[in-house]
Amino acid sequence: MTRGMLSILPLAVGAALYGLAFGVLAAQAGFPWWGVGLMGAGVHAGSSQIVAVDQFSTGSGLVGAVFAGAIMNLRYLGITASLAGILAALPLWQRLVALHLTSDENWALTMSERRKDSGVGAAFLLGAGSVMFVTWSVSTAVGAQIGTLLPDLDAAGLGFAFTAAFIAMARSMAPRRISAFLPWGVTFGLAIGLMSAGMSRALAILAASLAGLALAALLRKSGRHA
Amino acid sequence: MSLSQWLLIAGLAAATFATRLLGYLAGDRLRQSRFAFVLEDLPGLIVVALVASSLAGTEPKTWIAAALAVAIAWVSNNVVVTMSAGLAAYLALGVVIT
Repeated sequence: MTRGMLSILPLAVGAALYGLAFGVLAAQAGFPWWGVGLMGAGVHAGSSQIVAVDQFSTGSGLVGAVFAGAIMNLRYLGITASLAGILAALPLWQRLVALHLTSDENWALTMSERRKDSGVGAAFLLGAGSVMFVTWSVSTAVGAQIGTLLPDLDAAGLGFAFTAAFIAMARSMAPRRISAFLPWGVTFGLAIGLMSAGMSRALAILAASLAGLALAALLRKSGRHA
Repeated sequence: MSLSQWLLIAGLAAATFATRLLGYLAGDRLRQSRFAFVLEDLPGLIVVALVASSLAGTEPKTWIAAALAVAIAWVSNNVVVTMSAGLAAYLALGVVIT
């Protein structure tokens, strides 16, 4: 477990910075520092938190915001599925804790270390996860406290900070095949078009991404037959 | 916090834990089903739509700053670097292009 805790430290530094930034944004969007810390502890998934807070503060409504955030976490379906073997030996409550602590970083680190040393398993995951959990909860709360003390940054370009964060997220999720960018292009163009035509932001996002998804499904199907 | 703020936190926390739990319980069945591509493709599309919707109807300087942010993101592949440098570019453009 200590090994996991130590191995993840470099990644924890990055997470702390991200947490601070998110905390500032969330505070500016109206959340108190303790609420942000609570969210960090309860959700423990940065990209979904930033999407949910952004949607919530730009008028998407509660359900839309939760839904958008939840979609960002769909990848955990595949991530936790791959942990079935590693967690099997743990008592139930530890399994549930391990699942909650599973994030991109500690999962990826555990899996890559495990490839080098098959002894790496649940204890490593829990150790690394605990460090990330504390780092994330604390840094988001501290960021929010700072954000509360800062003046209203809206005029200074706070909205663009969200845009830049999403651009960074998109880049990290960028497909490797050129053809896979076609759905991205369609979604991007459609979202702009729908909003220009007067559709609400939340609806435009949903419609545009579903259209892109439909195209992605078509492309995959035709790929299989090629 | 307002009721909706509480519900946002609780709702997202519940949905996220349910997702993690479901993945663990469903195991490989989901990944091997024909819907597995949704897990991979939808989140990225949502983020792209978010970028697009936040740029729609904004002034040229925002689009330029966004293009710069894309370049920074491409090179750094780091959220904090992209946010800081992107924001700096946005603010600088605001001064240059009035």
